[in-house]
Amino acid sequence: MSQKPITRRSLLTGSGVLVAGATFMGPWAHTRVYAAMSDKPLKIGLTSDASGQYANSGASDRRGMLMAIDEFNQNGGVLGRKIETIHIDTETTPATGSRVAERLISREECAFLIGAVSSGVANAISQVAQKHGTIYLNTNSSSPSESGENCHRVKFVWDGNGTNFAKAAVRNAIDSFGKNWMLVTNDYVWGHDTSAATRKLVDSYGGTIVDEVLVPQGTRDFSSILVNVQQAAPDVVAAAVGGDDQKAMRQQVAQLGMGEKPAWINNQQDWPDVYGLPLDNLFGVFGTTWYWKLDLPGVADFVKRYQTQYPDTAMRVPGNVFYNGYVATRELLRCVEEAGTTNNIAVIKLLEGRKMSAEDRMQHNDAWIDPATHQVQQTIYLATANEGTADPDDMFKIVSHTAPDTVADTAAQDECKLESYEDTPSYEV
Amino acid sequence: MTLLPHILNGLTLGLLFALIALGFMLIVSVMEVINLAHGSLFALGAYFALWLIAPELAGFTEVADAYAGLPIALRYGLALVIAPLGVAAVGMGLEACLRRTYGKAPLYGLLLTFGAALVLEEVIRTVWGPTEQHLPLPDAINGATLFAGIIYSKYKLYAAGFALVAVFCVWLFLEKTPYGAIVKAGAHDSEMVRALGIDLGRLRMLVFGLGAALAGLAGIVMVPIWGLRPHVGIDIVIPAFLIIVLGGVGSFWGAVVASILVGLAVGLTGAYATEWSLISMYLLLILVLTFRARGLFGRKSILEN
Repeated sequence: MSQKPITRRSLLTGSGVLVAGATFMGPWAHTRVYAAMSDKPLKIGLTSDASGQYANSGASDRRGMLMAIDEFNQNGGVLGRKIETIHIDTETTPATGSRVAERLISREECAFLIGAVSSGVANAISQVAQKHGTIYLNTNSSSPSESGENCHRVKFVWDGNGTNFAKAAVRNAIDSFGKNWMLVTNDYVWGHDTSAATRKLVDSYGGTIVDEVLVPQGTRDFSSILVNVQQAAPDVVAAAVGGDDQKAMRQQVAQLGMGEKPAWINNQQDWPDVYGLPLDNLFGVFGTTWYWKLDLPGVADFVKRYQTQYPDTAMRVPGNVFYNGYVATRELLRCVEEAGTTNNIAVIKLLEGRKMSAEDRMQHNDAWIDPATHQVQQTIYLATANEGTADPDDMFKIVSHTAPDTVADTAAQDECKLESYEDTPSYEV
Repeated sequence: MTLLPHILNGLTLGLLFALIALGFMLIVSVMEVINLAHGSLFALGAYFALWLIAPELAGFTEVADAYAGLPIALRYGLALVIAPLGVAAVGMGLEACLRRTYGKAPLYGLLLTFGAALVLEEVIRTVWGPTEQHLPLPDAINGATLFAGIIYSKYKLYAAGFALVAVFCVWLFLEKTPYGAIVKAGAHDSEMVRALGIDLGRLRMLVFGLGAALAGLAGIVMVPIWGLRPHVGIDIVIPAFLIIVLGGVGSFWGAVVASILVGLAVGLTGAYATEWSLISMYLLLILVLTFRARGLFGRKSILEN
């Protein structure tokens, strides 16, 4: 086999071409010359889980983003540019999240990143995004630390968090069920954050925490914990157990018939986690940010659009995870359109403090993005199982809706220290 | 806090662990293959059962209205028999792929079964979808029962009883039947078994099929407690492997005793220091292996080569 020798001349020419190309098209934060001056499609990186604990919710999240993007594309895209997406599986693993974010920004030159269900993954992605200045929408992870100690100038958090849900539920539950509370907490960041928030609220409303059990991630047998719950006999059990652990726990609580007594306060219940299950699995009171049967203008049409867009999806109606993915993406694209540029700082400034009408978001109250924490302040709903319904998709009975300022996570404002605009790399693609 | 309910809990859990480890143990000790697809076969058993118990739920709308009209106890009973047979067939197919790895380093079998696990999980995701599903149960084994002031799940007690019977049947088969003797002899001295005119290839296929069927059976029994989703099998491979190592590779009673110990360790730490409950089984493993490197009842096996 003959091999072509590398000559000095070809080496120099090659290097010259490489350097010129990199300057013109390269991923440098300030000099994406080629990208900025062309009308090439706008690329958005979707960082949702397709495997691991949150694979199912990740898919729902992604469908929400894609429907919003599709609607924009049907109307000519954004800034006259077609929107393209690239999705890489973040595997419900923070290390993968970092790697995926780095690749989507540096190699794929994505203008924005969207998507998260796991708080650990969201935190990892946002650190990389901040380094590059890339706007990142945390659509569905609900750890209070996401808009508290782990907040970033480029990150916007769209879901209600553990504190919001606890605030909506605790006072009501103390009045209705009693003062003795037991906490069942998943032993990782979201669980601890949520339990700390609940503990504080229970204390402030005159309740007592009689015991707290920490549930390691990956727990499948809850019998000893449930025996402890029986022996402690609290009035209320506040559970912050997520993902597959929660599914196993729910199943075992239902088998023991313990769903009614004690009263259970389950933080947020994501729609993809419960869709299609028997109603006795949905015990207690739980939170959500949106439900497909809210009696509000636009909801029915939204459900219809979902069904038209995804006729073959097993989940026949959209849930909170889809909803967050959709509204977050739509709002970002609206801001880009309004800013008339993809310049990240200009778009960030439009997102900060942005007001969104209740009608537009199909919720009971107007919502806004807190400029100090970048978390969307929105209506929080409490629900229980909708016993006696004939429609298998109508699983939730909404029992209350609370205005955003009543449930605001005020502690986050003290903990969140956003990077300055100057410290955030600026770019345009 | 009284100790008794927690000991009972630990014992029940131990029996369930034994059920999970049974098929894995059979394949490791008789064929000396570490079957990493055990978890996927476990999940597959549960999904086959879903087809048989809740045909509508799995999308089988037209085929058999009459079948769907049968009492659930009957459909459940049928699922307990037919679904493991289906898994056994899949297991035998997997064994056919494994044949080329016999006589080679154990790593080949390990890699092949790992690949098979990924494929099977993806097949499950494609056929049954990624969402959580629910395996309906007959009323007789569902619900709760009160004992000494504590509520227990009837189903869990049933599952533990079922595990006990399964352990006994496998022991009976291995120790008290001529087939069991052939299976064990095949593991010890395959050349001699072949010289006696026994078709070793067929024997291995059947043993793998039996191991797979036991995995499937464990799946049907366990998912009403753990929930049913495509990756449910991942939850069992590590405990099953740990139990085999703890009990000693190749030892039937070693595996059973190890299961009970693991159950008690997880159950009791779950009661008094919940955050340690999962790690307790690994601590137990370290403790035992420090003093007995081949596990509780282990003897030298091909895996040490």
